[in-house]
Amino acid sequence: MIEIVETGPFNTVQDLGRPGYRDIGVSGSGAMDPLAVRIGNILVGNDEGAAGIEVQTFPFSLRFDRRTVFAVTGADGDPILDRLELLPWCAYTAEAGQVLELKHPPTLARAYVSIGGGLDVPSVMGSRSTSLRGSFGGNAGRPLVKGDRIALGDCANFAPVPANGLAVIEPAVALRDVFPDLVDGALPVRALPGGEHALFPNDGDAFWSQTWKISSRSDRTGYRLSGEPIKPTASVEMRSHGIVPGVIQVPPGGEPIVQMSDANTAGGYPKIAGVIECDLWRLGQARIGSRLRFVRSTHAEARAVEQAVARYVEDVRTTSEMVKRALKAMA
Amino acid sequence: MSAIDFSDPATIAFLTEALTAAGASGLEISWPGGRLRIVIATGNEAGVDVSVTPRPAPTAQPLVVVKAPMAGHFYPGSPSRQAATDRLPSVLAADILGFLRVGPLLLPLCAGRAGILTKQLAEPDALVGFGDPLFEIEPQS
Repeated sequence: MIEIVETGPFNTVQDLGRPGYRDIGVSGSGAMDPLAVRIGNILVGNDEGAAGIEVQTFPFSLRFDRRTVFAVTGADGDPILDRLELLPWCAYTAEAGQVLELKHPPTLARAYVSIGGGLDVPSVMGSRSTSLRGSFGGNAGRPLVKGDRIALGDCANFAPVPANGLAVIEPAVALRDVFPDLVDGALPVRALPGGEHALFPNDGDAFWSQTWKISSRSDRTGYRLSGEPIKPTASVEMRSHGIVPGVIQVPPGGEPIVQMSDANTAGGYPKIAGVIECDLWRLGQARIGSRLRFVRSTHAEARAVEQAVARYVEDVRTTSEMVKRALKAMA
Repeated sequence: MSAIDFSDPATIAFLTEALTAAGASGLEISWPGGRLRIVIATGNEAGVDVSVTPRPAPTAQPLVVVKAPMAGHFYPGSPSRQAATDRLPSVLAADILGFLRVGPLLLPLCAGRAGILTKQLAEPDALVGFGDPLFEIEPQS
């Protein structure tokens, strides 16, 4: 059991999402930074898709009521366990009664708390993610509030982590060859031209060449960008059609919307482009007010990035099992 | 970690069996008190050579040595941890002095006790073995 001691609004239980029900209007939900969830779960010995907590408003703290392995991944900044500063991207063992505290991260947006055994909330349509739009899933279909107590799953493969912790080289560092750094303070986000790209003049130049700012009207459903409005050459009347996270729509006002984890399941605005799936976690870590640029990508590049991420995740999984076994044998 | 007695015949037998099973040709382990070398012969007979050196008499204020918990690459501490870096060479018990990198994983190397960090004994990214000394700390009470 864990107890929420302090939380801001909109912190929720999330896993890797609820795919397969968009046709009946159910959003996929799931973590905005699924890579952080996968790595956190591997470090604590869970299946990659176990449910954890997505923290996007700080400070946040929780109390463990039994000896528990946990890791904080995603955002930068040092988690604190009973006043002792810890490393992010590192699994530790907490004793019963200890309090884990997360302060506002210096640059990134969302921290993930993975806990050995996972959060044992009911699985709804195959997922433990909270659907805020549908008010179901996760912890009673709502954001966490102070005093919430959440059961933990059984930790079948409980392998204790070393006393000093077991950390990982975080994806942004380990995969820096495939995830380019900020350019002049703007996050490069790779995208492929979308269904209505041809409606925009000069091969969509106004969209691709400017630096956009993530507006304050952005949340888990979508990011509204601010910048110089872009207009199609002709106004079109479109029927609503299915959309997924990553789709970039251009509403009549001309400022694009990027669909995120709680994406609408249908929409009728022209789609100028779609963010490649492997770059969505970086967008999920981008804060309101930060700047980004879209970089025209290819299917081949998207596939290559996906394969590099898969190799990294597999490497973390096999090496963490090996290291835990070796340290246990030598203990 | 230092609890393993490599001169114990049972330990040597276990290691020999593990090496044979893994198809490895041998191993060599050095520790401050001695050295163990096991060579797996082609006829499945192992050669073992263990030498134990007498320990030097402990001095009044022994240096604390932070050792590698397993084989891996030495990975220096993150420069972003400014608070700990500013204090150097003074260290607190909980300070992370660096990491042992095994593939993408990092094992934090903690000072273990408060003192003055006098030596870093491994170069960045150097391959180190189990028990290799990585840091020397002069304890302060």
